[in-house]
Amino acid sequence: MQIEPYDCRTRCAVADAKLSIEGVSKVYGSGPDSVEALTPMDLMVQEGDFLCIVGPSGCGKTTLLNLAAGFDRPTAGTLKIDGTEISKPGAERGVVFQQGALFSWMSVLENVAFGPRATGRSAAEARALAMDTLRMVGLDEFAEKYPYQLSGGMQQRVGIARALTNDPEVLLMDEPFAALDQQTREGLLEEIRQLWNRTGKTILWITHSIEEALFLATHIVVMSPRPGRVCASFRSDFGTSEDPMISVTPEFVAAKRHIFELLKAPSPERAQEVL
Amino acid sequence: MTEAYSPAELKAATAEPRTRPRKRLSNRWLTFGTFALLLSSWALATGMGPWEPIIKPLFLPSPTLVVQTFFQLLENGFQGKTLGQHVGISLYRFSVAFFFCIVIGVPVGLLMGMSDRFRAIFEPPIQAIRPVPKIALLPLFLIWFGIGNLSKIIVIAAPVFPLIAISAMQAVQSVSIKKIQAAQSLGANRWTIFSRIVLPASLPGIFTGIRLSISIAVTMLVAAELTATSEGIAWMALTAAEFLATNVVIVAVLIMAVIGFGLDRIFWLLETRIVHWSGKE
Repeated sequence: MQIEPYDCRTRCAVADAKLSIEGVSKVYGSGPDSVEALTPMDLMVQEGDFLCIVGPSGCGKTTLLNLAAGFDRPTAGTLKIDGTEISKPGAERGVVFQQGALFSWMSVLENVAFGPRATGRSAAEARALAMDTLRMVGLDEFAEKYPYQLSGGMQQRVGIARALTNDPEVLLMDEPFAALDQQTREGLLEEIRQLWNRTGKTILWITHSIEEALFLATHIVVMSPRPGRVCASFRSDFGTSEDPMISVTPEFVAAKRHIFELLKAPSPERAQEVL
Repeated sequence: MTEAYSPAELKAATAEPRTRPRKRLSNRWLTFGTFALLLSSWALATGMGPWEPIIKPLFLPSPTLVVQTFFQLLENGFQGKTLGQHVGISLYRFSVAFFFCIVIGVPVGLLMGMSDRFRAIFEPPIQAIRPVPKIALLPLFLIWFGIGNLSKIIVIAAPVFPLIAISAMQAVQSVSIKKIQAAQSLGANRWTIFSRIVLPASLPGIFTGIRLSISIAVTMLVAAELTATSEGIAWMALTAAEFLATNVVIVAVLIMAVIGFGLDRIFWLLETRIVHWSGKE
């Protein structure tokens, strides 16, 4: 059980990548007020990868997710899904947000059935699909409830179910559990592992928690801020461990410490600032 | 050990489980008390006490006189028309103005919220009209639209329309971008996003705008019936005032208050039914 460095830029050939990010950068604004949110980066994600991007705020991880989702366009470079360039949001990329993205005026069932309805399925089909996913995440009893009648953890499960029902090629998760309490989060993380095992989905998971990344991922990309860039990448097998107590093993703690120190180390730019 | 607690603390601790229902009950009694106090001071000051009226009926009629006047008006009407006709014509002017403000104002507001081009076209004139005191425009409306109902409807609509349109626009603009992005990445097209996300998400704001404009519309009804008419509930109040018939004035004012209150309740009821999820996120 351990993590080992790998080159996230050359994980696989561009042609074989589920999601490919080539020379992508993002600059907000122009002139002297411009902010370089993301310096040019390359990243290959292969089918079935559970890739966690971990880093502090300002490291560009949410920018990267917004680009992959098609909510925003890169300043330079291209992002592709199955070889097709990403230019706008699409149903083949399911997005799960941190919170507040459920449709409050729709019941849980209507929320989850929204995707299939929007992509052209009949009401009855969409309903059946939505019920299947709700059953999978254990929320079938709450189908007729409204989001505001559910706890925060259940709301996030609805968000995940909603994204899953469209059967997307890639799941993009933007710190989905960051607003939840510790107990709820731990329970849901376990469920996410099982869900990934069962569905084999390609997942891009954004988090600021090293522990969360180690617990879930097959691949971890560590990013650092000002300007946002990749500072290391690891292959990990903690995510596929059967051990329920994996997160308190010495190897896990050592890996956590290693990444923690990487993030703490002053960047060359910041070292110059100090001088 | 009991000496460690003051009597007040002990009482508070033991009374704890009962405070909630009891408090609700006592608050209702307090509200009732306010009205009882107002009504009885009105009654006592206007001759229903064992003393001479402090305020002459000419200035403020007693509650019983007001009730009597109401039934007299109900029976005999006012200036050749029944009370029902007066209320009816006012409600007609009010409803037509209000109906068109909603039917046109809400879509215009929605379009302004959805499209910057639309906003560039419509917002400046609407914002320019907003601060103009509409009552001052009444003489112009009479010249332009005649002395019939049209000028009255327009003077009521004049302040209501911008309020409803602007509040609908702001409601659209405050729809969470995350919800729109979520719909986009679920494969929704522009029309689906408008009809199933933007529109329902804007409804609470639209309702607020509508309910705010009810009281404004009732005020404008008085302005509308100031001149060039011989019917309507506000006209009744204004005409009665000329004859110093304060009892009729008060009946008319109370009827307008009831109309305003009733409409607000209706829209409040619609709001709690339709946007039941509002404010619960």
